Amino acid sequence: MTGVGSTEPAGSAGAGFPGAEAENSLYEAIQEERAKYPDDSRSAVLPALRLAQGQHGWLSPDALREVAEALELTPAYCKSVASFYDQLHLAPVGEHLVEVCTNVSCAVVGAQRVVEAFESELGCRAGETSDDGKVTLRAVECLGGCGWATIVAVDHHYRTHVSAEHVPAIVEELRGA
Amino acid sequence: MSEPQADLVTVKVDEREIQVPKGTGMVETAAAAGIEIPVFCYEPRLGPPVGACRMCLVEVEGMPKLQAGCTLTAQDGMVVKTARTSDQAAEGQNATLEFILVNHPLDCPVCDKGGECPLQDLTFRYGPGNTRMRFPKRTMEKPIPISPLIALDRERCILCYRCTRFSESVAEDGQLVAINRGASSVIATFEDEPYKGHFSGNVTEICPVGALTSTQYRFEARPWEIQNVPTVCGLCPVGCNITATTREGKVKRVLSRNHPEVDEGWLCDKGRYAFDHLEARDRITTPLRKRGLRRFEASSWEDAIDEVERLLRESGTTTATALSGGESVEEAYALAKILRQGLGAHNAVLPETPSQLGGSPLSAIRGTKTIAVLSDVPVVERAPIVDLWIKAARRSGATVSYGVPTGAVGALITDDAAKAAGIVAEHVYVLPFTPNGRGVADAWSAAGDEEPVDEKQRVLIISGDEAATDPSVRALAAEAETVIGIGMFEESFRGIADLVLPGTSYLERDGTTVNLEGRLQRQRRAVVAPVPDVLAWLSKLGERFDVELSPHASVLFDEVSERCYGGVTYAELGEHATLPPLAAEAQTPRLSVDSTQTQGQAERSPGLRLVAYRPLFSGAAVERTPELAFQRPDPVVELSREDAQTRGIRNSQTVTVSSNGTSLELRAQVARDLLPGAVRIARDHAGDLHPTVEVRP
Amino acid sequence: MAPDIVLENATTELAEYEATGGYAALAKARAMTPEAVTEDLITSELRGRGGAFFPAGRKWSFVPSKEQLPKPHYLVVNADESEPGSFKDNEILSRVPHRFIEGCLITAHAIDSQHVFVYIRGEYSGPYEILVGALEELKDRPDIRGDVTIVVHRGAGAYICGEETALLESLEGKRGQPRSKPPFPAISGLYASPTVVNNVETITTVPPVIAMGGAEYASLGVPNTRGSRVVSLSGNVVHGGNYEIEPGMSIKDIVYSLGGGIPDGRELKAVVPGGSSTVILTKGEIDVGYDFDSLAQVHTAMGSAGIVVLDDRCCIVQLGIRWSEFYEHESCGKCTPCREGTRWLTAILRKLEDGRATQGDLDLLLSVCDRINGKCLCPLGDSDAIIIASYVAKFRDEFQAHIDNGACPFGGESSLDGVLAPIQMHTHSPVAEVPA
Ligand SMILES: Cc1cc2nc3c(=O)[nH]c(=O)nc-3n(C[C@H](O)[C@H](O)[C@H](O)COP(=O)(O)O)c2cc1C
Ligand code: SF4
Ligand code: FES
Repeated sequence: MTGVGSTEPAGSAGAGFPGAEAENSLYEAIQEERAKYPDDSRSAVLPALRLAQGQHGWLSPDALREVAEALELTPAYCKSVASFYDQLHLAPVGEHLVEVCTNVSCAVVGAQRVVEAFESELGCRAGETSDDGKVTLRAVECLGGCGWATIVAVDHHYRTHVSAEHVPAIVEELRGA
Repeated sequence: MSEPQADLVTVKVDEREIQVPKGTGMVETAAAAGIEIPVFCYEPRLGPPVGACRMCLVEVEGMPKLQAGCTLTAQDGMVVKTARTSDQAAEGQNATLEFILVNHPLDCPVCDKGGECPLQDLTFRYGPGNTRMRFPKRTMEKPIPISPLIALDRERCILCYRCTRFSESVAEDGQLVAINRGASSVIATFEDEPYKGHFSGNVTEICPVGALTSTQYRFEARPWEIQNVPTVCGLCPVGCNITATTREGKVKRVLSRNHPEVDEGWLCDKGRYAFDHLEARDRITTPLRKRGLRRFEASSWEDAIDEVERLLRESGTTTATALSGGESVEEAYALAKILRQGLGAHNAVLPETPSQLGGSPLSAIRGTKTIAVLSDVPVVERAPIVDLWIKAARRSGATVSYGVPTGAVGALITDDAAKAAGIVAEHVYVLPFTPNGRGVADAWSAAGDEEPVDEKQRVLIISGDEAATDPSVRALAAEAETVIGIGMFEESFRGIADLVLPGTSYLERDGTTVNLEGRLQRQRRAVVAPVPDVLAWLSKLGERFDVELSPHASVLFDEVSERCYGGVTYAELGEHATLPPLAAEAQTPRLSVDSTQTQGQAERSPGLRLVAYRPLFSGAAVERTPELAFQRPDPVVELSREDAQTRGIRNSQTVTVSSNGTSLELRAQVARDLLPGAVRIARDHAGDLHPTVEVRP
Repeated sequence: MAPDIVLENATTELAEYEATGGYAALAKARAMTPEAVTEDLITSELRGRGGAFFPAGRKWSFVPSKEQLPKPHYLVVNADESEPGSFKDNEILSRVPHRFIEGCLITAHAIDSQHVFVYIRGEYSGPYEILVGALEELKDRPDIRGDVTIVVHRGAGAYICGEETALLESLEGKRGQPRSKPPFPAISGLYASPTVVNNVETITTVPPVIAMGGAEYASLGVPNTRGSRVVSLSGNVVHGGNYEIEPGMSIKDIVYSLGGGIPDGRELKAVVPGGSSTVILTKGEIDVGYDFDSLAQVHTAMGSAGIVVLDDRCCIVQLGIRWSEFYEHESCGKCTPCREGTRWLTAILRKLEDGRATQGDLDLLLSVCDRINGKCLCPLGDSDAIIIASYVAKFRDEFQAHIDNGACPFGGESSLDGVLAPIQMHTHSPVAEVPA
């Protein structure tokens, strides 16, 4: 059986979240999410934060305020929720996001070398963004593709069986895009 | 209310058998057996237990793992062992404390909480004697101001989440939250903006360590240097029970003194922090005589009392008295007795017509299933704690409606007794806007019952700063020949009074006060005022008119009580006053004061009815507490969801509010407690708007 | 040998799925009463695949009737799959989305629910898109959808949200921190209403169970572990991937026959049988059946069926560090022993790895494990303590060598050497912290 988790990168989806390029404003998009859940619930918070991040690239204080206003919550509440989740960024990130799984299954087959290859190719450390602002590199916990290690999520889409040799091509692809 | 009697179950705690209703929390069950289960995060007033801190671990027979006592409930035949009798539980508690202390700075010597700290107490009793942690501790920037009133020391925080649960599910203000995850979690406000909310100070009191402390109290006193005086707040009609902590004759802080029927241990920030007004720079410390248009000069007490006597003799029955509703029952009575019995001056101007409706404890609100709120003014701005009771009821499933209810309701809360007409409600609460309007009215009526003469009033006595700053009283003052003031602050009387006698604060007097439930409560002198006691000089003044007036509150109270309170004596009013049953015949003669109800049900005019309300954070005491300035309301216009929708207005959008010729830009806020047709703006931000406005995006 | 039940006739297309008998089980179930469906599930002995292995039919039977408790019923599917070593739900959603949806609809029928929420981990963009595509295909198939709405709710990166009550909190728009139980979700779950939480694989097994009948399903496998199980094989193994097996097959066979053994001519060192949170097995212990009872005999469990194979280059102290760092990073921060204890464990392990530790530190390590284990609010913190203690118990010599040599015996050659864990990059943390 093969790695089906490896959906190919979806064009120029970017580091935020795809899907928020809106004819609709953020406010309306959030109201649409809200309608999926019972009236008095706050369930739309995660979808709303995802939308806001898609639009702003990261959850700036203003983005959090927008979410809060659209959901009639406080910005503090939205930040409290956002800060719990690794995929939501409370600081600016690059245009693209490269996430290398360094949990055990990937690590024992060379994930660290993949991280290091990205670091030298991008000229920044994991946790940082390349100087040209193009790519943010992160080490992440298990991505759920362990049998197809090493897993690298490029703009949220998995690449499987990545090894250090593949890294220059991926970086070139992102820099070119 | 008659609760159905729950089944009793028998539980054994540390070999002691105890019977409690099924489902009782284990902390309470053990307490009933006289056994302590130590806790940090558990605080039943914050909602259902969360089982976070793990301090309460106990052994339960038949369960393999230790159980959190706070989330455990009593079931028949349960056998529980606490640290007293179970090595496993003792080990569990020791472990929890070890983990808590792993990153705790142990800076007790310089901590305000030292000596009153549950973490110190529980470590003393259950904790490890030494540390096995050999790594550098987590360090954080500290202290961080989370508002001008509160400092946060994140290193001391044990992440019990009491404060955030308070913000989330008691005050429901969503301001103080946890940020990040795991060991990086910290308590924070949004982008270091101040924790703004009516009840923020409570978090300093529920914090079980020295993480959240009051900036006013910071480094002010050690627990063994202070005196705690039990009294009652005098700043709004709720009358929360408080403890005034004093040191060297000064009030240093105000804490709650949980009255389960009144305040459940919560205070609003006005009650907690506004005591700074005692030290105000314009505090009146000697009698003042007008000199020039807007200036005063000091006068001796003898001269002042002589002058007052002379003026009152001249004016006689044509003397009118404007009261603030903040006086104690005894102060108001003493004044009334001189005027009514000594002079035959029966004309009183009360700030409002106190309602005699009520008779239910505030705590009854929480037990109801349906609540109708008929109040233009936001409840929280007038009687803050009532708002917490409503929220508590809503959280336990009550429906809260804001229009005239269609059927009977459990609780009716209104800012105007007239609106209660025709509504069937189990419990009725009328929200006055003065702290002791009821007691003052009672006191006035207890001193006489004749009608005022129909003559032009020559002398006006203004009692209290609130009356002195009230526009309608100031209008009367302009009419009067002479104005005598009694109050605390020069600013209040400048330009209107000819003679001012120093007044005192509720923290400086002995006496009684009647809250909105009709509960008689005792206020105790926490500190000695920098001026003579009001009752002392009133008693002297009384002598000049042959009015027998004791300078002792207890004696005066008993006189009033005979007429108004069924003869209950001063001594009988306990630390936690009970609510007297509303006796039908106790309807004492009411004052004949014009009802100034500006009711006029919103005619369906095209515009929106403007409610310009007086915010909680206003008034003489607040104005003299600079730390409270940030709590003043934001420039927002509140409107109902319907009105917002029909006008295409979004929450938080900037809108234009206009009426004949004037217009203002304000931020729109969609309010759940507003009916269509009305908008609300705090008086400070309402500018010159007329009573009918229009709002546009 | 390997039954194809869950992953049989893989297709993402509705037409193809229907052509191979798809949605027939749904029709069959809808012709039965909800009670009968639940009864058949009980007969099947299907147990939950999310980790706790609770009998699925019994869980459904705990939901009170709407007469007893007049509130909506919810089905919440746990697709948060974040347990290190586990990736079966990824493949199930990607390859048989319609079987999964059919399982949702049958389960909804069984528990009288009109609202299904699928909580899928935020990182699973691929499976998410496939699932949404499959649901899209049902837009104009009211005959299949019935009166049920299925909302796919995406997480945003937090392992703890796989714990069912944390998941519910997260789904309610809160921080994903576990609730204390009771009340159990069946009585008071999502929006304080009766809720069944089941794993993706559990749900996807429902259609075949109904199709073949509970009794037949129960005839597969071994006592206490019936039917099939999709295992995820990863680590130092030639053919990593998911394999649907019949329970009882030995781990040794899984690793060597299905997985093709250890690559690069290395030796097997140890196997983690059910995701990071299960007790490790040494190479001498792997001739054990992959089923509940057999694994219980060697004091471990199938967990989420993520088998991680470790070869002889793996330093066991580093393994402890890496997973302790994982638990420290993923601790929700609610309860004290987990929040503080996992962090402390990492620090002690690091001291051991660096060769600075004394004998006392090893004792301290075990003592801290002991003080965490059984004291936490949810199993996350306990897991860290249990696995670290199991590493010491089974590889004590290696721990001892770190102390005696004053250095890691692998001398920088361990397969986990220098691996960067996310907890080490705190650059995006909005709060200045001086790390220990
Ligand atoms: C820390 C933790 C993480 C978990 N993660 C998952 C998960 O990712 N997926 C899952 O199905 N169950 C997970 N579980 C188990 C769930 O709590 C729950 O038991 C399961 O979803 C029930 O479904 P089942 O009965 O079908 O197995 C986790 C449990 C814990 C304690
Ligand atoms: S054990 Fe860890 S993850 Fe679970 S509740 Fe406690 S802190 Fe949260
Ligand atoms: S360990 Fe890398 S995807 Fe699981």
